[in-house]
Amino acid sequence: MARIGLWGRIGIIILVLFALLIVGRLLFPLPEMPHIELAAEGVFSIFGFPITNTMLAAWLTILVLGGISYAATRKMKIVPKGLQNIVEALLGMLINFVEDTAGKDYGRKFFPVIATIFIFVIANAWLALLPGFMFIGIGEEHVPLLRGANTDINFPLALALISFVFVEYWGLRSQGFFRYVRKFFNVGGLLRGIGQLFRGKIRGGLSAILTGVIEAFAGFIEIISELVRIVSLTIRLFGNMTAGELLILMMLFLIPWVAVIPFYGLELFIGFVQALIFGALTLVFLVMAVTPREEHE
Amino acid sequence: MEGIGIAWQGLIAQLVSFAILFGLLTFLLYKPVRRILDERSNRIKESMDQAEQIKVRMAETEERVREQVEAARREGQNIVAQAGQMGERVKEEARLEARREAESIMARSRIEIDRERDEAIEELRRQFVDLAITAAEKVISETLDKEKHRRLIDEVLEEGPKGRG
Repeated sequence: MARIGLWGRIGIIILVLFALLIVGRLLFPLPEMPHIELAAEGVFSIFGFPITNTMLAAWLTILVLGGISYAATRKMKIVPKGLQNIVEALLGMLINFVEDTAGKDYGRKFFPVIATIFIFVIANAWLALLPGFMFIGIGEEHVPLLRGANTDINFPLALALISFVFVEYWGLRSQGFFRYVRKFFNVGGLLRGIGQLFRGKIRGGLSAILTGVIEAFAGFIEIISELVRIVSLTIRLFGNMTAGELLILMMLFLIPWVAVIPFYGLELFIGFVQALIFGALTLVFLVMAVTPREEHE
Repeated sequence: MEGIGIAWQGLIAQLVSFAILFGLLTFLLYKPVRRILDERSNRIKESMDQAEQIKVRMAETEERVREQVEAARREGQNIVAQAGQMGERVKEEARLEARREAESIMARSRIEIDRERDEAIEELRRQFVDLAITAAEKVISETLDKEKHRRLIDEVLEEGPKGRG
């Protein structure tokens, strides 16, 4: 067989893809463009409370994770074997990651929340890649029965709120109310400056007021940045996962065969990365909240 | 907000989901795994402590064995030294014995010699007397009473040195 050059190989690949496109189109014709809905769709409702397909997916994830956990820790042995070994090793990696970042004491306290965030997000993302998600529809409108929970903005938002509350709680708890709140309402310098002005020290008072205003403004920015975290965490996860889902949907629509497989691989990777980012960011925010201000400035 | 689907029902449902999963994983996964990890690290620490103890004990035993060997060596040296001293003493005794023997032999020899010398002197005197008598006979040319003469000469000899000296 004659050697084929780089361009030759690329040409062959393109040709094969093209052939697949045509054959796939002929074998599995799609009647219409997939219906794209950003909001989660209600599958049914209980007493007027709508149950959406993403809620069902989240519950499925909980069932799967609970089942695996139960199976792995049912009969624990000091010398691990099989599933226990795998789960222990993975969890051990997570524990090390958290404790390396937050230190031994805080690591122990932060671990359950960080780990639950990470595991929930990655399990949602990976389970959503299973066949059955998105493609089993019910009802006349063919509403998908299951849809990855990460692609429902309520789920990332819920996680972001939990992350936010947890961070603020630990900030208050470790530094005390006044020390922690001073970060946001830093008006001490301003008041001192006004006091000096009243005592007749015009020059010193004015410069103190100037730095006081800057400090107060910095505190205001601190509040904004703390709140923006909720939005950024939510939108990052929601955007990435929804884009991945739509990408796979569109690829399946365009080329119904093998061509979509690399995108599944990509989505596996992105699911891991997004889970890691969400967990790691929450962890970093926590560490920043419990570290006294004088130290990290 | 409608467009991307934020809804309070969904939000609440997902918060509850998170809470459920959090509780589930805490009791089914984190606690058991944490417990087993801690237990394992404790065990490892214990066995390392034990190994340390065994090492210390072994070192002690080695030290004791070394001391015993040292003691045995010293004892052996003592024994050898004692044996040497004993040999020395035996040799000394043998030498003294030999000297005493030799001295007694020499004393006996001296007595013998003295005796023989006395005998020889006696013999010599007897012969001298005879010779003197014979000579006197010849000088006087007269046969004298031998017995009488002998007595006479003996008298002279007895007194001789005294009378002259």
